[in-house]
Amino acid sequence: MNPAPASTETEITVSEAVTFPDGIPGFESCRSWVVMAAEEATPLRRLHAIDGPEASFLAIDPRAVLDNYRCDLSASDRRRLGAGDTDPLLWLAIVMVEATGALTVNLRAPIVINPKTMTGQQVLPHNCLYPLRHVLVDAE
Amino acid sequence: MIGDGVEVRVLRVGKDGVRLGIVAPPEVRVHRREVYDQIRDANQSAVVSAGKLAQVAERLTKAK
Repeated sequence: MNPAPASTETEITVSEAVTFPDGIPGFESCRSWVVMAAEEATPLRRLHAIDGPEASFLAIDPRAVLDNYRCDLSASDRRRLGAGDTDPLLWLAIVMVEATGALTVNLRAPIVINPKTMTGQQVLPHNCLYPLRHVLVDAE
Repeated sequence: MIGDGVEVRVLRVGKDGVRLGIVAPPEVRVHRREVYDQIRDANQSAVVSAGKLAQVAERLTKAK
């Protein structure tokens, strides 16, 4: 067994399968995902589909990218996650490898997981000013 | 009306186009196709093979 990663106050660990009732855009049939700590680096998580087509992403807490990142969930998004107003939620922004080799992160449409219900979805907020491809690392 | 509870409303007709509103029950997700497509394309370019994950993670960590 691997030692548990050092946890911080805000860290939420999801070790079992998380259900995404609608999958995510492009991977609609991937309903079951696991979130793992990417052992190489702590703020990074690995998001891996355990059903449907092969899908494995690196993802990062958007607040580790932008300190003041803030994205409001709509009441219906909250309801879909079975989340009350004060329930802690796990936020993950998907990391992309661009054709140029640059690494970008999708801050526009984050993945939100409610650890209490083990339900997740990718939210597509209507009024989100964050970029879809925020550059993390320039092309090599 | 479309099926049960989904309603399309014309909000405004102007010279430059028509503004539509969609009223749907909370469990129905409503998104503009082009927004959905953008997110889909982004997701598809995000898939990283298991072998490459470590390499990407290393570049990210170094950049910090």
